[in-house]
Amino acid sequence: MRKTTFSILFIIVVLLCFTSCYSVRIVSSQGTVNPDPMSERADFYRDKMIIELDTVVKASAFTDEVSFIASGTRCKSGKLHSVEYKNSFGASLLYLVTFGSRRKVKIKYVCLKTEN
Amino acid sequence: MAHTTTYAKTSWDTLHNNGPFPLKYLQITELESNSTLPNAIARYNDATLEIQQLIQQALAHNQGFRAYGSRWSMSSIAHQKDRLHYNGYMNLDIPIPVDAVRSDSPYQVENLFFFQCGNTIKEISQKLSQSGKSLKTSGASNGQTIAGCISTGVHGSALDVGAIQDYVVGIQLITGPKAKDVLYLERHTKPALTSAFVHQLNATVIRNDELFNAALVSLGSFGFIHGVVIEAEDRFLLHRYVRKVDKQLALSLADTMDFSSQVLIPEAVDRNGKPLRPYHYKVFINQYVNDPQYVIEVMYKKPYVTPYPDPFTIINKSLYRDLIHLLIKISEKYPKTIPWFIKKLEKQILPDVNEETLGTLYETFWDAPYQGPAFACSFGVDHKDSSKVLELLTKTTLQEGPIPGIFAMRFVKGGKATLGFTKFPITCVIEIDGVLWQKTNKLISLKEYSNKMITVLQQHNIDFTLHWGKNADWSYPGLINYMYSAKAEEWKKFRTALLRPELARVFSNHFLESTKLSDSVSVVPQDLIVSL
Repeated sequence: MRKTTFSILFIIVVLLCFTSCYSVRIVSSQGTVNPDPMSERADFYRDKMIIELDTVVKASAFTDEVSFIASGTRCKSGKLHSVEYKNSFGASLLYLVTFGSRRKVKIKYVCLKTEN
Repeated sequence: MAHTTTYAKTSWDTLHNNGPFPLKYLQITELESNSTLPNAIARYNDATLEIQQLIQQALAHNQGFRAYGSRWSMSSIAHQKDRLHYNGYMNLDIPIPVDAVRSDSPYQVENLFFFQCGNTIKEISQKLSQSGKSLKTSGASNGQTIAGCISTGVHGSALDVGAIQDYVVGIQLITGPKAKDVLYLERHTKPALTSAFVHQLNATVIRNDELFNAALVSLGSFGFIHGVVIEAEDRFLLHRYVRKVDKQLALSLADTMDFSSQVLIPEAVDRNGKPLRPYHYKVFINQYVNDPQYVIEVMYKKPYVTPYPDPFTIINKSLYRDLIHLLIKISEKYPKTIPWFIKKLEKQILPDVNEETLGTLYETFWDAPYQGPAFACSFGVDHKDSSKVLELLTKTTLQEGPIPGIFAMRFVKGGKATLGFTKFPITCVIEIDGVLWQKTNKLISLKEYSNKMITVLQQHNIDFTLHWGKNADWSYPGLINYMYSAKAEEWKKFRTALLRPELARVFSNHFLESTKLSDSVSVVPQDLIVSL
């Protein structure tokens, strides 16, 4: 009985650790956000043309920096309004156990509106 | 060519979730790229043709067509059940050369700017700043498009300046699919652009004060506002102070607008120690506490000089939206908890007392992040009635509520727009805003609450108006007549003269019908809208 309780608690703690996360967002004081008239979101990104990156980057143990380029049809201006980076316990653990060869990246960014 | 994408939709909502409202089609127009069509006027005219095609389509299908920008209005003024047109990507600015301004114009050419409808206040402010210029005033934030602002009468609290429409000097309208339906309006007593320049925009000029004043706050119903000419001024700084002052003093200033006999801010005085007149004055009122003091926000205009301290707070934190949602759900079931919640959230709702900032208009009235479903009921009254009306409205709120919001008062100089809701010499805008709630058996609906407030003001013979873009019981019997009487008839007369009947239907919507402003006038003088 005690063993079962311990197992359940352990699983809960592990699950909480994996889901525990926080995010930090940097926002430019200048420039106008690229709007999204089709947006139905109900958060900071409401009416903003958001681009989300949620991937695992494969790298060697000797890879230092990883860059993403802001471009494409959803980012015609190529200029940034805001970037949000989300960190989680799972992502940090993945980085540690793979010695940096698997890097979980979760980024949301919004570009500036194109000037006409 | 500019191109439009049409999406079949079933519903549409405002930014603050005051809907949803039914919809058939959402149309989004994007301009031709400037690499293909580098000339701004050519791109603008290309967009004119595209909009005319869309109007023709609506006409052919016997459907309504209405433009919207940032969907910040909380009333249904921006909604059309058939075709809604998003114009936020139509953000050209057209340089006005020296020879494009008439020699008899009272405006200085360097202060005139031509903006396409989808430019937001933020975009315009940044573009003006590149020329060392600034808007004269804005709303409390910067996300509205210029066409949306003037259509609904967006205002700040510039007590000697006015609302946004009051610095518009020209409006380009598209009233139909024909070539003759492209118009440029300005006042004949204050002309700005030469006819030769306007002809480059393929528009017919009508210089007519009364028509212009009617079209200034058009509720989106005089046609498609494609572009506006505004008068800017030299860039300036605003020194902003937040203070807590005696309630009687705050109300006395509101009623009199006399800032000369009381030193509010020790450093805001002239060489003789006489208090300066503020650019902006705002009073915050938590109607659920009996505090002998009110929080006020006061701003003084200063010349633009650099350097000045960074006006932005570097770290911004916000409440969990889920927490607000939970609080409102509890409030709906147990309304008596609302005053306690508001008291606890006062730090998030009100500015910090003794806060001071120095910045441009753009920096002072910066971004307002989305914070979930919201409401706002906004009355315009003569500033001399400020304290009386505040007492009536707060009393009603305590009797009928509590309601999850708090009051504030702002002050705006009157303008000339026929249906401008800032119609008094200085209008006190008394507003309650807060979190949108659902009616329960213990809490009245927002429409019922608005109805009670309108009724109490009418019972006390208070002359008032309502902000077109805010929540209200817009179908309240005789409401428009009570607020505008002959002015409403005048507005309808000009609309009838300007739009052919089939186009008047295209540019109408449920809001206009429920307020009876869509009604045409049977007798209209033939020369009503001639150029003078």
